[in-house]
Amino acid sequence: MSAAIETTELTRRFKRHLAVDGVSMTVPEQAVYGFLGRNGAGKTTTLKMLLGLIRPSGGTARICGVDVAEDRLGAARKVGALLEAHGFYGNLSGRENLDLTRCLIGLPRTEVERVLEVVEMTEHAGRQVSDYSLGMRQRLGLARAMLGAPPVLILDEPTNGLDPDGIADMRRFLAELPDRTGATVLLSSHLLGEIEQTATHIGIVHQGRLVLEGELTRLKADLAPEVAVETDDPVRAAALATARGFAVTRTPDQIVASLKPGEDARAASAALNRALVEADVAVFAIGPRARTLEGIYREVSAPPAVQPLMQPEPV
Amino acid sequence: MLAALFVEARKLNRSLAALLAIAAPSLIAVFVFFNMIRGKAPAPWDMWMGSASAIWAFFMLPMSVTALTALVAHMEHGPKSWDNLRALPLPRWKLYAAKAVCVLAVVAAMSALTLLMVWGAVTLAAVLKPELTPTGPFDLAAYARTMGLMFLAGLLMIALQLWTALRFASFVPGLVLGIGGTFFAVVATSAKEGVFLPWQMPVNMLASEAWRMNTALGLGCGLGLVALVAMVVHLSRREVL
Repeated sequence: MSAAIETTELTRRFKRHLAVDGVSMTVPEQAVYGFLGRNGAGKTTTLKMLLGLIRPSGGTARICGVDVAEDRLGAARKVGALLEAHGFYGNLSGRENLDLTRCLIGLPRTEVERVLEVVEMTEHAGRQVSDYSLGMRQRLGLARAMLGAPPVLILDEPTNGLDPDGIADMRRFLAELPDRTGATVLLSSHLLGEIEQTATHIGIVHQGRLVLEGELTRLKADLAPEVAVETDDPVRAAALATARGFAVTRTPDQIVASLKPGEDARAASAALNRALVEADVAVFAIGPRARTLEGIYREVSAPPAVQPLMQPEPV
Repeated sequence: MLAALFVEARKLNRSLAALLAIAAPSLIAVFVFFNMIRGKAPAPWDMWMGSASAIWAFFMLPMSVTALTALVAHMEHGPKSWDNLRALPLPRWKLYAAKAVCVLAVVAAMSALTLLMVWGAVTLAAVLKPELTPTGPFDLAAYARTMGLMFLAGLLMIALQLWTALRFASFVPGLVLGIGGTFFAVVATSAKEGVFLPWQMPVNMLASEAWRMNTALGLGCGLGLVALVAMVVHLSRREVL
């Protein structure tokens, strides 16, 4: 599979603040690539560099092999974008809004009706955009991004502000997009559940750096399962587990021990349980659990709620 | 470029900017109508058309340009559509050049509409009160020429207002510049230096001294075109963060 989007050491500095720090990402063709990160992690800045909206301080970005800095127009012809701000003119109808973009990029008139059908907005297209719900605006934004059937779609937080039905609708659209349009989708979000159900690949950006990237199913499989233990004394439990060779993270009421790839999770649970009970640590619940995207995300982005245990504490 | 111009024109459809373009000339026509209908004796066409031109150039044109540029720029600033426009496979200078041409066209149309509406208002007043029917010739070519010169002398003011309105997402800098400029243009009416103030340049087209007229026209039109080009270059190269 070749790359639809490829960045090499992409960097952007705003005065003293390093917003994007050497991001090298690869989005394979026809993938739905979930670009994850907290607010302020550098997602939008990276997307803006991909769209040629801001210039990188260093590194390169290529869309379908076209260097964005060297040939912005060539790269822009390969991309449709749904940005966080929709930028629709409220005094015009949905159809008129799409027609303005169609006109600017020189597409045939039939293109507007085609994309309206794809996002199931044909019957509302005559209404003024100022009367649209947020969900309808998002769909219209998606339709605009698909004008001209670009091979790459860049969608910045497409479910922002939607109600649960709207989110479910959008998720369905996004999951079906590569099959329906053949496009590669780069989807930025901070909603893990949304990405987990939609994306085939993920990239996690944290403090401007890409800390993890890969095919989601493979990442889940490659990363060994873990054992969660609810206990009355997480500090001693963590120390005991660490002494037995587990990598441990601790929260106020539980520890999570990561297993080595290939290690039998049930046997490891039993062994850890035995060690804790013998050390007189009360165990309320223990058991293996599969890796979730949330687990992977928390591990690589190290949020304050979960403190990685670097050193075993004295028992 | 034609596509970008066509798109800019369509954006005005049902917009506040379009409403303003009709409202400002209408206000002058309404004023002239009631001023005439209150009169006791007929006055020449030149008086009515001249006073309408003076009101337009002295006050209504600078204030309308301030409001129009703010409204046109806010069409993009409001829904934050710059990113969507600038991400399109289209040279960015075309977006800004089309915006500038569109604003110039609207101001030119407002000038023409002012003439037309004032003629209509005076004619209507004369129908209602035949004894006030204007005297003297109705020299449309001369009135149109004066309005045209005012438009050309106003190019620098239009360029500065549009540049400010497009550069800043907030209404405030453009309004402060426009209101401040108009205020100083009014208070510096009789001052020699006033002719160098872009907001006073259009009204100098009514000046009796030739040097005032020539200076205002030369500076307003010449520097206005330079400022418009500089604006397009600056805005299209600038990053919108």
